[in-house]
Amino acid sequence: MIDEKYINTSEDRPLAVEPYDREWGVGISGLTENPSPFPRINKMLDWLKNTDNTADSQRAKIVTECDRKFAMYPQNVKWAMTLREIYRRVKINIWPDQLIVGELCAPPKSAPLYPEFSFDWLVDEFRYRPMDQRKNDRYVVSQDVIDDVYAMQDYWKGRTVSEAALAMYTPEELQGGHKGKGVTQESLFMYAGVGHVTANYEKLLAVGFGGLRREVEEHMAALDEARPEDVERMNFYKAELITIEGASTYIRRYGELAAQMAAEETDPVRRKELERVSSNCLQVAEGPARDFWEAIQLWHIATNMIIIESNGHSVTYGRFDKIFWPYYKKSVESGIMTREQCQELIEHSFCLMHSLCKIRDTMAITFSSGTIMGGTALDVGGVDEQGNDITNDLSYMVLDAHAHTRIPNPWMGVRLHKGTPEQFKVKVFNVIRIGTGEPKIFNDEPMIRALMNYGKPLEEARNYVGVGCVEPSIPGKTYGWHDSGSFNLAKAVHLAINHGRCIDCSSACPFYKGCAGAGKSLSPDSGGLDTFTSFDQVVESFRFQLKYWCDRMISMINKIDLAQQRLKPLPYLSLLIDGCIDKGMDVSRGGAVYNHSGPQGVGLGTTADSLTAIKQLVFDDKICTGPELLQALRDNWEGHEPLYAYVNSDRVHHYGNNDDYADDIAHMVMSSYCENIEHRPTPHGGEYMPGVFSVTANVHHGSYLGATPDGRKAFEPVSDCMGPVHTACCSHDTCGPTAVALSAAKMDHSRIGNGIILNWKFSPGAVSGDTGRDNLIGLMDTYFEHQGMQSQFSIVGRDMMLAAQKQPENYKDLLVRIAGYSAYFVELSTELQNDLIGRTELSFD
Amino acid sequence: MLYKDREGRPAGRITNIQRYTIHDGPGIRTEIFFKGCTMHCLWCSNPETIRPGRELGFYPSKCMTKDKCGWCVRACSQGGSPLVFDSEGLIAVTDGTKCVGCMRCADVCPNHAIKSWGEDRTVEDLMAVIRADESFYRRTGGGVTLNGGEVLVQWEFARLLLQACRDEGIGTCVETALCVPTEHMEAVLPYTDLLITDIKHMDPAVHEKLTGQSNRQILANIRRAAELGTKLVIRTPVVHGYNSGEENIRRTGAFLRDELKGDIVAWQLLPYRRMGTEKYDSLRRPYPFEDYTAPEREVWEAELLHLAELMRTEYGLPAVAGSGAKLDLDGEQTPQT
Repeated sequence: MIDEKYINTSEDRPLAVEPYDREWGVGISGLTENPSPFPRINKMLDWLKNTDNTADSQRAKIVTECDRKFAMYPQNVKWAMTLREIYRRVKINIWPDQLIVGELCAPPKSAPLYPEFSFDWLVDEFRYRPMDQRKNDRYVVSQDVIDDVYAMQDYWKGRTVSEAALAMYTPEELQGGHKGKGVTQESLFMYAGVGHVTANYEKLLAVGFGGLRREVEEHMAALDEARPEDVERMNFYKAELITIEGASTYIRRYGELAAQMAAEETDPVRRKELERVSSNCLQVAEGPARDFWEAIQLWHIATNMIIIESNGHSVTYGRFDKIFWPYYKKSVESGIMTREQCQELIEHSFCLMHSLCKIRDTMAITFSSGTIMGGTALDVGGVDEQGNDITNDLSYMVLDAHAHTRIPNPWMGVRLHKGTPEQFKVKVFNVIRIGTGEPKIFNDEPMIRALMNYGKPLEEARNYVGVGCVEPSIPGKTYGWHDSGSFNLAKAVHLAINHGRCIDCSSACPFYKGCAGAGKSLSPDSGGLDTFTSFDQVVESFRFQLKYWCDRMISMINKIDLAQQRLKPLPYLSLLIDGCIDKGMDVSRGGAVYNHSGPQGVGLGTTADSLTAIKQLVFDDKICTGPELLQALRDNWEGHEPLYAYVNSDRVHHYGNNDDYADDIAHMVMSSYCENIEHRPTPHGGEYMPGVFSVTANVHHGSYLGATPDGRKAFEPVSDCMGPVHTACCSHDTCGPTAVALSAAKMDHSRIGNGIILNWKFSPGAVSGDTGRDNLIGLMDTYFEHQGMQSQFSIVGRDMMLAAQKQPENYKDLLVRIAGYSAYFVELSTELQNDLIGRTELSFD
Repeated sequence: MLYKDREGRPAGRITNIQRYTIHDGPGIRTEIFFKGCTMHCLWCSNPETIRPGRELGFYPSKCMTKDKCGWCVRACSQGGSPLVFDSEGLIAVTDGTKCVGCMRCADVCPNHAIKSWGEDRTVEDLMAVIRADESFYRRTGGGVTLNGGEVLVQWEFARLLLQACRDEGIGTCVETALCVPTEHMEAVLPYTDLLITDIKHMDPAVHEKLTGQSNRQILANIRRAAELGTKLVIRTPVVHGYNSGEENIRRTGAFLRDELKGDIVAWQLLPYRRMGTEKYDSLRRPYPFEDYTAPEREVWEAELLHLAELMRTEYGLPAVAGSGAKLDLDGEQTPQT
């Protein structure tokens, strides 16, 4: 089965399949045929690559039918009965070569539909924007499915979560929020489920669904329905028992199907596999997992059922090496399984994650690619509850599994701390250097502090997992509403310097009639660049506008929260999050031990550089007057080219160069955002916590936004995450990676409870060879020593260098390595650039 | 040569400071390029560092035109008259009577289309830049590398700067061609952790043809540095057809083995790259190696690998192709394949 050359025969631990220092090339990304040593995995990868995405209407039809049929029951009981119907009735399949089974109540690469959250947009997409003609995120949907969707539109009119939330919005919120001028994009959990959660897998694997059932029954027995509050609890427990029955049925059906297929199978090897699949499913339908294979089977199908219940993304797979260590150890030590078999199962599970998909609308896919489910986070490394390093074979095997699959699922995170073994870091950075962008790295110290700042005891905080992108969360205990919205910080600059009006205010705006046309403005007037006499006044006005719209964003998120609570209880997820069964309360209403809501601030760099430019140009150096700068923005810099060139140059202080002049302002922006978010109450009984990352929301927010004082033209993206500004003119960071690290680390990341992202970009040459690798590790170690909380990397290959040749102004910070030293790519002659582009993974110089 | 700033403090004439340099010495380094050189190598890729005086360079392709920018014209102490434009941008800066060399245009140009090569900076000024990355050096065993031009033309200032680094526990490396009086080299060695130097050719006459100077002083200095127990990295820029012949490499190997007892940290055989041509253009000077055509990558890669292998096996020297292998300053050198 496995090629000898892939087996690590050295006496030293770690006993992973690959040697710890195996290199896969630098910056070559996914461009490799058959990356896995397992033919089965390569076959699956080919299938995933060459199969169209589609949609499936089974779930939507059952949900629509049940919503009518069970309308008289309490919401949570109704949804539990609906789930049970889905689990009993959907068609199930076991696909060739599968060793782990379980689908998303639809075949792989087929998206189930969730009419209960929002529906009209889907009908519009089918009707007006055929999904098979999309450039990216293409779906080929059968006419039967489209007809099914059309047929249920009338029923869902006025019954969805999104309509219930929008009905609570004030006119002002409609104008400033996602429906209007986009000061905030608070709608992520309005049109779909919430997700962003990690189940308590350790408990589920140990007790099984049967164990959960007994726990529910015990709580039920203690109730007294003569007490009004116990009636509600009784409803909750009834819903849980119905859900457990459904879940067990679903898993058992796969076990029965596998047995039937085994009986018909002629190939003795495959028959054996199917028999094992069958016995796995029959065991974990109710019982605990007893070995690695059963555990990975239960983990996989239990997670799918979270997504069958609700299409919220970023359902997180947890700390793999911690959850599976006891099962792996037992299986390998007792000789039931080999390490190579376990490795194959891990890679198999990655392929299954990659087969999950979710339909998004045209708008969403314009700004981010979204066929995949998204947020399938899985972490390795870090410390346990007592503070001991947990790195084990599985930590290495998970990283090898990424190198062997090169697919963007799961979203891998590696936790690093002072005691992380050096060999493990070598493995981590060798995988990073492949250039797929995986994994990201977390710094345990500030992450743990961030959690403790939000009331978690040290032992629990040490067990954190990065949910979705990067959000710190206690696995199995937190319902975090991470990523509940995003706030365009740069828009607050506009309102602050232009009397509460948009910089590009004109009668062409669809809101003009009710706003400026009626003598009003988007926000109250807090002054403008034509009236301010000091930079302090600018800051005061900025802080006023920030607070004004943070208050409104929170009001809108609260309304969405209340609509989700009212219409979409989550009886299945409530089984897997600690606190719900104890309290007898659904997770959507605050059943979890820890509850949060985490909206992101977006455009930190753009905002910091904008305010810095105002300070330097208008008040300190007096290069131009306030009204002149304001006019330049209104004109989108046209006719103001000298000022445009100057503000984009390094003659002006910019965030990201370890320059206190600009970095202090970035710090002020970050703190002001935090002040307006942190520790405010959420409707589901927890605290708000701020995040500073955008993922791709910086593109979306920018697409709404007029020119900004940092030298950004209208509709360009705002800066991403914690990163410095890159305008169409040029990059604002010019002092290299150490300066970026120092600038970013001046802010207290652990105050940002919902997490941060810092993106790094290197050319393969700058990180190749032992020198390149070890200095990259050293750069990150030092950044983490300065309490940087997170990093992720793009190791740019040939394509990016070609792009840099075409648009050098956008790639001023692209560092490449040439004989004896590193230099900026765009500074090199064309010939040398071409030579570097021609460099192969084995090249040196 | 020791420059002074306006207040009479010692100053170094610097063309560039590059942070996160990782191939000139161990770890993460800040590299400082000094102006002025004693040699004129045909393939020099840093022409702006050759002459000792401050120079104005300009890149027409980076100019955003007088109409769209014009900061230089407004800043010029001569009212903009030395700056000559056409519709595409700046085409000349007339020297002599019109331009008085105030460099204000270069100081203000947002796009660095006009560049002032050579800034006089004090020890304290440079230490502020160096210190910023101190934590990165500490973590990776890095530090400061002084380079040029020929850094030892400004040996008095270099010594002051190295001394200041040493006082603060920051690692030091000097990259020099060593075509300087021995006492200038000896003046900096007590404050230098690692010396990187070149042997470009073993034949004094050929060496003079290629670089404008004989190699006698260089080889004598290398011997002396070794005698004093200096940690040495030797580099040979292998220019196909000029110094790549096996005979020359063998002679170099013999020198390192017999006269230095092979006691070097590494011998790096580096490829020739056609670099710095845009800087020659900015200075309005011809690239001396214009007519040279380097062989294809496969050819020079194979050549370097072969030579390094030869020097390891036959001469027992720690020879490597390229500069990507880690430098182990403390331990025994183990050649890598």
